Amino acid sequence: MPERTAGPNPSERPIAARIGDGGSPMGAGASPASTGASPTAPTPTGSRVGGINLSFRVVLTVWLLVSAVLPVAILGAAIMAAGLYSDARVMITLVIVAIVAAAFLGLLAAALAVASLTAPLRRITAAVERVAAGESSPPIHLTGDDELVRLAESHNRIAAEAARRNRELGALLDAIAGYNPADGPATLAARAESDACAIYGLIDCHLRFVDPVAVPIEERIPGDPRPVRAEVRAGSETLGLLIGHLPATRAWERADQDLLDLFASEVGVALRNAELFGQIESQNAKLLELDAAKDEFLRGVSHNLQTPLTSIRAYVDQLRAASDEAAMDRRLGIVAEQADRLTRLVRQLLTVTRLEAGALRPEVEVIAVAPRVRRAWEALNAEGVGFELRDEGGGWLAVADPDQLDQVLWALLDNAVKYGGRDGRVEVTVVADDTIDRVHVTIADHGPGVSEVDRRRLFTRFTRGTGQASGDGTGLGLYVSRELLRTMGGMLWLEPARAGLGAAFTLSLPGEPPGDEG
Amino acid sequence: MIEPRPRRILLVDDDASLLVVLSEQLHDDGYEVATARDGQEALRRLEAGWPDLIILDLMMPRVDGLALARRIKAEADLPIIVLSAIDTADSKARLLDEVAEDYVSKPYHYPELRARIQRVLRRLGDRIPRQSLVLGPDLTLNLHRRAATVAGTEVQLTPTESRLLQVLAANLGEIVTTDSLLARGWADTEEAEPSYVWVSMRRLRQKIETDPDRPCHLITVRGVGYRLVSRRQDA
Repeated sequence: MPERTAGPNPSERPIAARIGDGGSPMGAGASPASTGASPTAPTPTGSRVGGINLSFRVVLTVWLLVSAVLPVAILGAAIMAAGLYSDARVMITLVIVAIVAAAFLGLLAAALAVASLTAPLRRITAAVERVAAGESSPPIHLTGDDELVRLAESHNRIAAEAARRNRELGALLDAIAGYNPADGPATLAARAESDACAIYGLIDCHLRFVDPVAVPIEERIPGDPRPVRAEVRAGSETLGLLIGHLPATRAWERADQDLLDLFASEVGVALRNAELFGQIESQNAKLLELDAAKDEFLRGVSHNLQTPLTSIRAYVDQLRAASDEAAMDRRLGIVAEQADRLTRLVRQLLTVTRLEAGALRPEVEVIAVAPRVRRAWEALNAEGVGFELRDEGGGWLAVADPDQLDQVLWALLDNAVKYGGRDGRVEVTVVADDTIDRVHVTIADHGPGVSEVDRRRLFTRFTRGTGQASGDGTGLGLYVSRELLRTMGGMLWLEPARAGLGAAFTLSLPGEPPGDEG
Repeated sequence: MIEPRPRRILLVDDDASLLVVLSEQLHDDGYEVATARDGQEALRRLEAGWPDLIILDLMMPRVDGLALARRIKAEADLPIIVLSAIDTADSKARLLDEVAEDYVSKPYHYPELRARIQRVLRRLGDRIPRQSLVLGPDLTLNLHRRAATVAGTEVQLTPTESRLLQVLAANLGEIVTTDSLLARGWADTEEAEPSYVWVSMRRLRQKIETDPDRPCHLITVRGVGYRLVSRRQDA
């Protein structure tokens, strides 16, 4: 059976928890250099007597001898000295003094022994606690060959490995941070291989895009480079396998495997990002191509529609100019109007493309709006619809692109006719607001008005009033109008509904007072 | 007024039916019209003699109208009116600035086109510099690019502003009446009023004068018209 990932799924555990035995939280782990900033200076731990390092066992023996034998010797000496005196009182006093002295000496020696013997133990404890708290610890130096020394060595080994894994984690995070999705999967895979070698000290490393199950686990032969592997995953999907070899002398523990799994999963995410990035790039390129094709198409359509329209329009003009009879013929008038209408619709479509491309740059000139409105109305030739134009502009001129303003006026007037009801009447008012230097044009009809539902989506593209046949208009008029006005520093809004009255749209443009100078 | 001779117009378009009808329309209005269906033919016609005006379709299938216009401009300062279906890319419209006096989109309205032709022809006889015109330390006109450099900063001019400055520059130092500015800045179909000139001049002054309240280049001659003044001797 192939080996599955040894540890729990790395992606399900926070990075700090994945370091494993003797590890440290990320903060300390990411900066192994913090050793130097450690508050306690490294000091060799051990008992020094006369400048000679003695092992724990020798020191213990010496102290036991001192604290046990010395008082007995003092007591013995006191008893022997007491025997020289015949006076019982003196003898008893002497013995009592000796007992007290021996006891005192014994206690003193014992206290000194405890203080001296526990010092290395305390240092080891402190060092272990620091490693447990995630700090790095300098090695503890003890001499001799006893249990205490082995304990210190064991601690030193754990601390060194924790420090090594911290370094590896730091290098790993640095490597991952440098993975740019724009580099592409192949480059990333090559970088991941060399990074894995550098971080974990591997002899070789290969990233293979295969099903890990299909690659049998290499047997470990003592003395030969040790095989290591980790699955490369992105989320729940397995992308491949990272296989490498470790020098035979190197230890490889659970924590190391966790670190390798972590690296492999991050590589997997980076590869997946690179893949998605590539897809988006190619889709973008395709979209740009499509966009260019669409523009080219519209230009072609524009040219191919407008060339015949130009001929139609020109011949109608010529026919009407030729004789009064032709000029009066309503049928010729209709041909001209319909050609004009088609022209405007084609132009509206092209305007949408140009708006979307941000290619529309208005050439703003000064314009008297009221005559412009009248001309737009006449061009519309809405028979049977009343028209009233109130010019209260006081000679103010609007600042706008004439062609674009014509498009807007035509669309708004066309709407007013279309939605204005059977025997509609269109009212246009031009006013100047000299407090804000703007010219306002309100176009009102006497139709049913705009429903609450329509109000919200009125200015979106391809939107028609509810109940309107889909063949009626392009659904672009209000959208194009608002956007065109916006490029000219103008605005367009729908006035609040008024009882008994239809829809009223107001457009606002920058204005200039007439001012006689010349 | 009776013209001493009919104005000659060269019409370049690949649409044969348009050439027929438009040349008839123009002929009816007293113009002498020659037609060409492509750039080669147009250049051959030019060798035979220069017209007063060229009307050119920029979007012809086999010929790059823009290249043709540039070549014509390089050989002679002939006014060109571009007659073309509107383009989706505005960049091309920008290129017009260097070659065309005016732009009429297809389908044209003949009265509109005729009004533009008349306006362009009014400028005949004016020698308008096609290179930069230095009017002072703080003002240089680059009318061929429809721009001015004001105190080191480039300012874009609108087509009308550019036309007005062309008239004023062609009569540098002299008074140009409001009426002639009106006739040169706007086509008849635009129904422009004198206030168009006043307001345009005010806006122009905001653009090209370093102190619009105390103009030193664009001078109002009250009740008469305007004067463009060079300040080079002061520099």
